Amino acid sequence: MSARTAPISAARGPVPREAGIGLRFPHHQAVLDERPPVAWLEVHTENYFGGGTPLAYLEAIRRDYPISLHGVGLSLGSAEGLDLDHLDRVRRTVERIAPALVSEHLSWSIAEGRYLADLLPLPMTEEALGVACRHVDRTQTVLRRRILVENPSSYLRWRHSTIPEWEFLAAVARRTGCGILCDVNNIYVSACNHRWDPSTYLAALPPAAIGEIHLAGHSVRQLEGGRVLRIDDHGSRVIPQVWELYAEALGRFGPVPTLVEWDTNLPPLAVLVNEAARAAVLLDRAREELADADAA
Amino acid sequence: MPTLLEVQRAVGRSIIASDDAPAARYVFADGVPPRARLGIYRNNFVSNVTTALRLSYPAIHRLVGAEFFEGAAHIFISAEPPRRADLDAYGEGFPEFLAGFAPARALPYLASVARLEWAVNRALHAPDMEPLDLSRLAAIAAAEHGHVAFLPHPSVSLVAADHPVDEVWRAVLAEDDHAMGAINLDAGPVRLLVERRATGVEVTRLEAPAWRLAAALCASRALQTAIDAAPDVDAAALLTEHLAAGRLIGFELVDCPITSGVHA
Repeated sequence: MSARTAPISAARGPVPREAGIGLRFPHHQAVLDERPPVAWLEVHTENYFGGGTPLAYLEAIRRDYPISLHGVGLSLGSAEGLDLDHLDRVRRTVERIAPALVSEHLSWSIAEGRYLADLLPLPMTEEALGVACRHVDRTQTVLRRRILVENPSSYLRWRHSTIPEWEFLAAVARRTGCGILCDVNNIYVSACNHRWDPSTYLAALPPAAIGEIHLAGHSVRQLEGGRVLRIDDHGSRVIPQVWELYAEALGRFGPVPTLVEWDTNLPPLAVLVNEAARAAVLLDRAREELADADAA
Repeated sequence: MPTLLEVQRAVGRSIIASDDAPAARYVFADGVPPRARLGIYRNNFVSNVTTALRLSYPAIHRLVGAEFFEGAAHIFISAEPPRRADLDAYGEGFPEFLAGFAPARALPYLASVARLEWAVNRALHAPDMEPLDLSRLAAIAAAEHGHVAFLPHPSVSLVAADHPVDEVWRAVLAEDDHAMGAINLDAGPVRLLVERRATGVEVTRLEAPAWRLAAALCASRALQTAIDAAPDVDAAALLTEHLAAGRLIGFELVDCPITSGVHA
């Protein structure tokens, strides 16, 4: 069955355990024209809150590709509560697009009604865990579906944190029933910035909850005094160390839908397709290992 | 131990007002000064919101240049930080900010170009809405027609400016220096209709009376009031055109001070 004959099932069915790419406005036309050989596409939910051209493109593209809606603005960790108007805009977009996946971040972006335009790290405390779980619950209730929650990159930790981030994320999944979007690049970035062991992080996540993996590039910033911080800017190719960590993640979780993200200095579509093809090779290998293990 | 709310309010002050001290107390230094760690988030905030503003105001960005734009944007963002997480909706106050921004005084038309760009931005991001079902209008008795108050399509804006800002906007975005040089900035005021059509956003000049009628209709004035505001146009023909173009998407019946007699 060709992709073209199954528009509805493609639009409503699950995302395959294959490699996809993040879709940004400059690639809308190229995706329609070229039908790149990627298994699925993910967009930022907030970019489709309005009507007109962006939504028309997405509705055309979703006839041929499963779509994932990835939110960046819900601020699941805000102590002052969810912005219910924002959640309602997410709900309307989800109802219109009927995506295969819906995801958000384990972070916060809003304080005193002001949007701070970044994914800020939560203090890893029981209080913050309670807030995050309440807001994931509320979101899943309003959207009437399970969401995936992604681990963010971070450049600072709070002195009063008491729970390792990997345990915090696993607890959110356990308490709310949400899935986990495991961003392998973010684990690598945060592990370098905070001197964590990325393998410890992966080992703490419940394999059954992993619904998606993200891959992306990041940059390295030299600070005064010689310290280096890695910055998650999605502006380059995935680095070898992150490919290695990805292979380790697939070894733990099995083949999981995998997405290559690219936001700044967006290259031609072919570069993203090429990165997705590299992920596809590792997914194939993970499938073979699974089959070998079953046969044994 | 600080509460989550205390931490988040302190970080908000650090990011928006560059007041790092309250948040820095809570940050684990680990070899990097807390201010440097907080500074990364502040830089990301300014950079992300400035980019959003530049995408909404591309002609302003080209008119004043990147350095001036970023400087003005930084001051504006600190004074009016975004209140919603979808940044497409951010920047409505930027034209008024530019109108009062002393370093921009040499360009008296700048704020008006910005008002036009905000209308274009609104048109780009407005939700899709069905046009008014004309059979609903046909069901209204003729005696009630004057009481009809229309609801405009959210993509429609009416912009008035003292300078030919539509010409400036087009020439700047086309990077057409020749057209830019040919604009007579003292050519007098313009009255503009901005809307999203199937082919994209369009900016159309209207004569002043036709613009007044359109503005009254889109402000949901009663039809009779709108007609009285523009006595020198063929209101029926213009209304038909607005309806056919899908610029009006609903209506309700309201009291009309001119014909109802109630308010006489």
